[in-house]
Amino acid sequence: MKNVRLALAGALLGATALAAPAQADVKIGLLGGVSGPIAAMAPAMIDSAQLAIQQVNDQGGILNGEKLVPVVGDSACNPQNATDAATKAVNIEGVIAIVGPHCSGAVLAAANSVAVPAGVVIITPSGTSPEISKLDDKDLVFRTVPSDDFQGRALARTLLERGTNKVAVAYLNNDYGKGLAEAFKVEFEDKGGEIAGFAAHEEGKASYRSDLAELADGGADTLVIFDYGDGAGLTMLRQALENGFFENFVGGDGMKSDAPIKELGAENLTTFTASSPVGAQSEALEVFNEAFKGVGGDPDAIFVTTSYDAAFLAALAIEKAGGDKAKVAEALRSVSDGKGETILPGEWQKAKELIAAGTDIDYKGAAGDHDFDELGDVPGVYALFKVQDGAFVVDTEMK
Amino acid sequence: MDFMELLNFYIVPGLVLGSIYALGAVGITLVFAILRYAHLAHGDIATLGAFIAFAAVTLLGLPVYAALPVAMVVTAFAAVGIDRLFYDYLRERPRIVTVMASLGVALMVRSVVQVIWGVDAESYIRGIARPENWWGIRLKDREIVTILSMIGLVLALQLFLMKTKWGKAMRAMSDNPNLALLSGVDNGKVVFLTWLIVGGLCAASGFFLGLNTELKSMMGWQMLLPMFAAAILGGVGRIEGAVLGGLIVGVAEEVSVIFLPSEYKAATAFAILLLMLLVRPTGLLRGKVL
Repeated sequence: MKNVRLALAGALLGATALAAPAQADVKIGLLGGVSGPIAAMAPAMIDSAQLAIQQVNDQGGILNGEKLVPVVGDSACNPQNATDAATKAVNIEGVIAIVGPHCSGAVLAAANSVAVPAGVVIITPSGTSPEISKLDDKDLVFRTVPSDDFQGRALARTLLERGTNKVAVAYLNNDYGKGLAEAFKVEFEDKGGEIAGFAAHEEGKASYRSDLAELADGGADTLVIFDYGDGAGLTMLRQALENGFFENFVGGDGMKSDAPIKELGAENLTTFTASSPVGAQSEALEVFNEAFKGVGGDPDAIFVTTSYDAAFLAALAIEKAGGDKAKVAEALRSVSDGKGETILPGEWQKAKELIAAGTDIDYKGAAGDHDFDELGDVPGVYALFKVQDGAFVVDTEMK
Repeated sequence: MDFMELLNFYIVPGLVLGSIYALGAVGITLVFAILRYAHLAHGDIATLGAFIAFAAVTLLGLPVYAALPVAMVVTAFAAVGIDRLFYDYLRERPRIVTVMASLGVALMVRSVVQVIWGVDAESYIRGIARPENWWGIRLKDREIVTILSMIGLVLALQLFLMKTKWGKAMRAMSDNPNLALLSGVDNGKVVFLTWLIVGGLCAASGFFLGLNTELKSMMGWQMLLPMFAAAILGGVGRIEGAVLGGLIVGVAEEVSVIFLPSEYKAATAFAILLLMLLVRPTGLLRGKVL
């Protein structure tokens, strides 16, 4: 009996040893707001990050031919879920880098409570709050999307140029809304504009009519909404339109969602514009657009370029760091510092060979060159979009 | 601010919102009174009801208002099913076990909604509806329907509880379950009936919330706190109290914006709940003390 048990144990041990692959997979976390207020944007963003990972695996894999495996987690656009999702990715799945989360508050929470203590690099493709720059992050937090400090200021200048001198501002009471609203307010008032109403609101309320009435009391006919187009921003836009509180509506990038067009109808949104980061026209962008169309994606969807770049950069950095978690941050800066052989989206095999040969590489991404500054931020290009024929089209470039 | 503005932008939206809270609060108060626990899945069952109505509109092509009874019936039986599956065998255990189970049910129901209908915002009627002017009061058709339906449903429920045999049995069980059992009231049937009614009311509140705003998978969960505040404000176990409480919480949330920064609006219900428990735990209409 004893021998049988021993044999059994031995066999089990042997089986586990055999089952463990000779090469462990390299895991990378993809955290995003799959549920919650940006749920309509998240799938395309995650798909484009998956595209980068698929290209890595199709072109020889990462490190010694291992597979790069995405671990998708739902950060639900709020700090609690982001912490849960990041904890699971880092502590249970053992990811080596994280792409995401999508929302600023989620990024701050995931970075502060999980990634920074664990020494895992976080690259967010869409967390735009100025607060993220201020994180004490041991140089672990990066983003491929410009800070809202740039966007808020650019939007303020553009509105003033278009002759809008008096606005009311409604913003979502979270890190994203607040950061954007404050950057906007400072620049707008500096350049001589008047803010006739400035109020935060909580998400998920059934009525914002009293909020809107308070804001309209200031006498402005333009409402600037810094919120999400699938969340409270939609409810607010609907109730403002229905009750005629304001004539013109301006949104930040969060409002550039298909939900308002789908739910409210394009014919009601003739006075609605939204600002959003745009990829500067480049060869890299065209390469990405073709590749993303090839897998059935829509390259014009918001934040798909930044998501792709974040994932591809993470892969490059892991390759460069030789899979050593502690060196990923340093490697990330070195694969995208403007020096070395240019790597375009999808050129994994070329990059891998160059890294193996010890040549310096420089990734030029779909959304921009991504030469990170010391805070891990990148500069941005924006445009103001309007609704035409049921879709967003560029109205003016923003400077 | 003149009086009409106060009425149009603060009181009227508050009353519409309050009617939606009231429908939910009546259900919560019934569960409190008859089954004696806080039912935390209430909001998410409301979400389920709202999406069932959405399915009836999109798949069966029913007119929007015709979808309401369909959703109420389907959700009523879903609620009975949930009770049988999850709460029934916990009945003899301490109440807190069932309360926690209902939190789990809330998460499960929400996930089911997210799996079937996705997480995007949806609406019953696309486009926007501008309010009409009724002697200076700006009201939309759907707002009038919301308030009238709430009154109608609550009156029907009140009549049922007062006049019918089974209504009396429910009230008897609410007063004293053991005595009711001794007098020949079938507790199992009363529980079944309670869940039918509660499920239907949940669906109605979810439907009207979706009708007046949008359908989102988190909509019900976010209504839970104001609904509980309304039920406790009115007095636990009192139907008319829940209605009154719902209307007060709804109006208080909207009017609070005049006095407080608008980001504190969501905290109004919470403040009312705390104040009420502190000052008058029996509620405005003297409900049960739990």
